[in-house]
Amino acid sequence: MAVFLQSLISGILIGGVYALIGIGLTLIFGVMRVVNFAHGDIMMVGMYLTYLLFTLLGVDPFVSVLISFPLMFFFGGFLQKVFINRVLNAVAQNQILLTIGLGLIMSNTVMLIFTSDYKILTTSYSSSTIQVGGGVSISTPLLISFLITAAITAVLGWFLLKTDTGQAIRATAQDREAAQLMGINVSRMSVIAFGLGAALAGTAGALISPTYYIFPQVGGTFTLKAFVITVLGGMGSVVGATLGGILIGVTESMSAVYISSGWKDVVVFVLFLLVLLFKPSGLMGKSRT
Amino acid sequence: MAILEIKSVSKFFGGLAANSDVSFSVEQGTIMGLIGPNGAGKTTLFNCITGYYPPSRGEVIFDGRRMNGLQPDKVCMLGMVRTWQKVRPLAKLSVIDNVMVGALAHTSSLKHARELAMEQLKVVRLEHREDFLAGGLPIGERKKLEVARALATKPKLLLLDEVMGGLNPAESEEIIQLILDIKAQGLTQMVIEHDMKAIMRISDRIVVLTSGEKLTEGTPQEVVSNQDVIDAYLGESHA
Amino acid sequence: MTKTILKAVVGLILLAALLVVPRYVESPYALHMMILLFLSVSQGQSWNILGGYAGQYSVGHAAYFGVGAYTTMMLMHSKQVVPWVGVWVGVAIVIVVALVIGSICFRLRGPYFVLASIAVAEIMRLSAINLTTLTNGAEGILATEIPAFKIGERVITDFLTKVPFYYIGLFLALLTIGITYWVQHSKLGYYFQAIREDQDAAHSLGIHITIYKNIGLVISAVLTSLAGAFYGIYVGFVDPPTVLGLDVSVQIMLICIIGGMGTIWGPVLGSLLLVPLSEALRSNMITEGLVKVGLVSADSRVGLFLKENLAHAHVLLYGILVVLVILFMPEGLMGFLKKLAPRRNREAV
Repeated sequence: MAVFLQSLISGILIGGVYALIGIGLTLIFGVMRVVNFAHGDIMMVGMYLTYLLFTLLGVDPFVSVLISFPLMFFFGGFLQKVFINRVLNAVAQNQILLTIGLGLIMSNTVMLIFTSDYKILTTSYSSSTIQVGGGVSISTPLLISFLITAAITAVLGWFLLKTDTGQAIRATAQDREAAQLMGINVSRMSVIAFGLGAALAGTAGALISPTYYIFPQVGGTFTLKAFVITVLGGMGSVVGATLGGILIGVTESMSAVYISSGWKDVVVFVLFLLVLLFKPSGLMGKSRT
Repeated sequence: MAILEIKSVSKFFGGLAANSDVSFSVEQGTIMGLIGPNGAGKTTLFNCITGYYPPSRGEVIFDGRRMNGLQPDKVCMLGMVRTWQKVRPLAKLSVIDNVMVGALAHTSSLKHARELAMEQLKVVRLEHREDFLAGGLPIGERKKLEVARALATKPKLLLLDEVMGGLNPAESEEIIQLILDIKAQGLTQMVIEHDMKAIMRISDRIVVLTSGEKLTEGTPQEVVSNQDVIDAYLGESHA
Repeated sequence: MTKTILKAVVGLILLAALLVVPRYVESPYALHMMILLFLSVSQGQSWNILGGYAGQYSVGHAAYFGVGAYTTMMLMHSKQVVPWVGVWVGVAIVIVVALVIGSICFRLRGPYFVLASIAVAEIMRLSAINLTTLTNGAEGILATEIPAFKIGERVITDFLTKVPFYYIGLFLALLTIGITYWVQHSKLGYYFQAIREDQDAAHSLGIHITIYKNIGLVISAVLTSLAGAFYGIYVGFVDPPTVLGLDVSVQIMLICIIGGMGTIWGPVLGSLLLVPLSEALRSNMITEGLVKVGLVSADSRVGLFLKENLAHAHVLLYGILVVLVILFMPEGLMGFLKKLAPRRNREAV
């Protein structure tokens, strides 16, 4: 029972970070209908940014979110303005290829600068845990990152629901043409959405850097996981992505315990294929005809 | 003899009925016109007939065979082929290649398919465009290309979805002549059209749909003089 | 007519030249480059049939490449099955795998198909890592001793030089080009392209979409697995990242996309550009060139940095190329060349 609770809790905690990556991807897809295959690589850039801030300036990884969030926002806005914007009306395949190419450029540029060595970011609390009784313990960095994730998600929810810009973004996601007719600056919303998506991915990178290996190719797996999460939650749905993230986190940690850690990603991908086949609109999505 | 029988066909999306309880039949060698205001369910009915949607209720009988549940490719092989309201040329293929794709339904020889395709291009008078890319043709010629490509599959029933939409009067006149030529060859047609004058000229019978239901059916004369039609449809466009 | 004859003559001269190269070229490095070129052409051409003609952008072709490579290598290494028999076992397995993948992925369209194809390839890669008793896990399989190929008692080749690999590679490249040519000039090619251009329209014209997509996939997968088996035997080593990684899938499709999809010569052109470029980077030729020209000095920080790192940069180059191609010439090099020399009768008014 303790093992079950333990893996459930760590699954939920890591799932929070996954949710952040998934929300970013789903936001970009919702507003632009572009599937961003560079998403994991953007997260990787966030990890290295955190690593740099920590090693050069001694900024704590969790505090560095305050710096990396705006920086990654501008990075995302730049990507949208310079690259993605040119293929908004191209066929989906070309959009996918463009983002794959951008991802390759990011990961290999980082590799040129930092080499492909694994880096570890060791903080005073990296391996500390909190005992909650019954033999169950919680990793301190995971708990902090979960709390930050929850706070960011709440702020994001408020932003999307309550502010004018947030509503404009949601309107654009619902119907681009109609939004344009209503006088919404659609291309500006696209830049903001991509910026937010990148900022969320970068933040997720910062949050996992105390507990994860940092290396240039780390993004690939996360891109795939981000897709699994958004497809599970229904493409374009922020609430769905949050639940999808937690579901994937729990599935992973459960299968690591009850099957083996080597097969945990396989379980996730098989689950993904099953959802694509039997419920392509997502577990939370309404089935469309 | 009826080549196509629509028996109480209904199609629901969620709780909304796009077609409800529509019945009529199309006689061999005639032209059946299908009219109705936007959103009346005309294209949905085409989709139900040609296998793109399974009808929620009712039956589609073509040439004595129940068509429910058959996929569009099978429907085509059995002799029913449709064109698209929004033209769908195979843009990066040449005009002749487009028509050859249709002709290949009944042959595996490219040479034979090319001959068949050329014949159809002559029927629609596009033979001078043979080597042009389909995507680059002006709208009037793309509409003709759709018809040629459909004809190349050697159908027994041709379903034309607003084949005159977006055309100027001269181009429409060409299409009308084309439809009449095709009829003269004995081919049955079902035509969705917004241009009332055109549909009155070409149709032997007309079915009027409103809000997914059949309002009335009859010869063009009967339909124009029907008060319900004038209220529901003609009234709207004259308002 | 004269044009056709001219083409045939040029083709035959080229073929004859390729056939006699090993007689006059002794440098193993030059032969190695040619072999890499042939491998790249066969990979790109295999993907072309499914991606370029039928329009199904698989980003999971590493699955077929890897299964071909692994099966042949595993059989040779642990069961002493000669590779020219083992490769057919690989083909048989790949057909089964392709049909399973096809039945799953072809129900999906656009980005969902791309995602599913990646997921399947990743499942294969992770399985290769985890099924250690079968695949030797992450360590991979090293098998450089290839038994001599005999007909009766006569030894045809003992695989001790690069020459036999040169001819196998050439054969493979010609085979894939030939099959592409045949596809383009048959009903199959017309149907593939119709599906690529507009699936619904194709469906209405009597084309059974699923069957034709699966035919395209099986042809493409079988050819890719042959290329994989050839790669495994030639290099003598396979491990999960080098034959089953996402990078492999991306590289396979890039050859075709950069060269020009849905054309017979696109993958050839793509290979002619990509193989020399990435080899130049890998072997530090570019750094040496920069040093020679005097742009950077060999022992300056920049020089050392380039020497150290540029060798790993060929994937970066792929990334830059794909971005440039998508933004500035989405039809690939072939499309770009065609635009330079427009054929009058192809242009619409």
